[in-house]
Amino acid sequence: MRPFVALLRKDLLLELRSGRTTTALVSLALLVLVVLAFALDRTITGGSDAAAGAMWVALVFAGMLGATRVMLAEQENGCLRALLLSPVDRATLYAAKLSAAFIFMLGAAFAAMVLAILFFNLEFSSVAGTLAIALLLGALGFSALATLLAAISARARGGELLLPILIVPLFVPALIAGVKASASALSGAQFAAAAQWFGVLIAFDVLFVAAGYLLFEHVVGEE
Amino acid sequence: MAAPVIETHALGKTFGLAPVLRDTAFSLLPGAAAIVIGANGAGKSTLLKILAGLVAPSDGYALVFGEDTRCFSPRCRGRIGMVSHQSFLYPSLTARENLKFYGELYGIADPSAAAESWLERVGLSDFGRERVRTFSRGMEQRLAVARAMIHDPALLLLDEPFAALDADGRSRVTALIKSALEEGCSVLATAHQPFEIEEVALDLYEIVRGQVVPFQEKEEGRRGGRLRSLPRPRSS
Repeated sequence: MRPFVALLRKDLLLELRSGRTTTALVSLALLVLVVLAFALDRTITGGSDAAAGAMWVALVFAGMLGATRVMLAEQENGCLRALLLSPVDRATLYAAKLSAAFIFMLGAAFAAMVLAILFFNLEFSSVAGTLAIALLLGALGFSALATLLAAISARARGGELLLPILIVPLFVPALIAGVKASASALSGAQFAAAAQWFGVLIAFDVLFVAAGYLLFEHVVGEE
Repeated sequence: MAAPVIETHALGKTFGLAPVLRDTAFSLLPGAAAIVIGANGAGKSTLLKILAGLVAPSDGYALVFGEDTRCFSPRCRGRIGMVSHQSFLYPSLTARENLKFYGELYGIADPSAAAESWLERVGLSDFGRERVRTFSRGMEQRLAVARAMIHDPALLLLDEPFAALDADGRSRVTALIKSALEEGCSVLATAHQPFEIEEVALDLYEIVRGQVVPFQEKEEGRRGGRLRSLPRPRSS
């Protein structure tokens, strides 16, 4: 438990010092939502559908910058090698990296949610619970996927370019489910109406958290 | 006789089509110190990375503390300390935070006290609150040595440990290596030129065309005999 706490604290401290990830997350979420709020014709798409779509697009783009940086930051001065050389087992390393990415994604999700509500003039109080669950599940799935793929791309030449190409197609099932569940929540429908989409989000989370846990050792292992 | 800390058997490493190491067979006994000398690109760093379990050999295998470097146990990794060309330090953290972090990773009882102690030992106690980003290359190297030794490793792998160090840094690092050897630690270092540590028998090796061979032709008197060549495997 102690190495896990040390790793997580170190990642949060690095972020606190640089503020790079938070700045990127919020500014990109803001940019995407401003553009989409003006570009989408809400009379055709419906306010809740447009808001849900815009919110998830902002979340994915912001997350791509934020969640992946947790792994990429280890490349500086070869710090990833030092972690691999330490007695910390790979599962703990993965859990710490996933937790840090998840915390950053929660920040992005919160920013996207607040901004979407403001820009799309939505009634928040009645949908808060369902929407928060959808975003929470989406953020977890995205963090798991991003941590695993960032570990792969950290070993490849030009890995930062490779990352978006890999993440977006793999995240499509969760993205569709997240948009549908959020739209359902924003339209004021009952939780049961979006149950199938929540099922997809949970399955995606289980799949990629387990895949990351099992594959991380092989992905970050020896060169 | 005690089991060797390091044993390599027909070890080879190829990057693309270029062989860097080939058919390397040697061992290092507990408490011994050896230096591997070689020109740039000779394969010194690659050899240390293989022994640290960071790079997989293309041929043969290496055993460290009796474990294959390709599948080290966490316990075995915890007994190795390594100084590399890269400092393995986080530029945005202070010197103290870096040492404390690594102390926690290695399960040291009191990481804060250990960090203070090691800052003192490498002469950086006045810079504990400074971020590594502001350090000179020499200061970073001193801190990298402290990071590698903070958990009292049983084997030190030092890739050009004196790189960028001034006279004071050199003497401090030399004293630390000597102190580690006195406590029973084994040391394998690489360098461009042979160096000496007072009252310590250093075994000299060099990498010639990818093979680690004793440095006997030029420095006959230096061989301590604790680093021994293993018999080559017979070809069928």
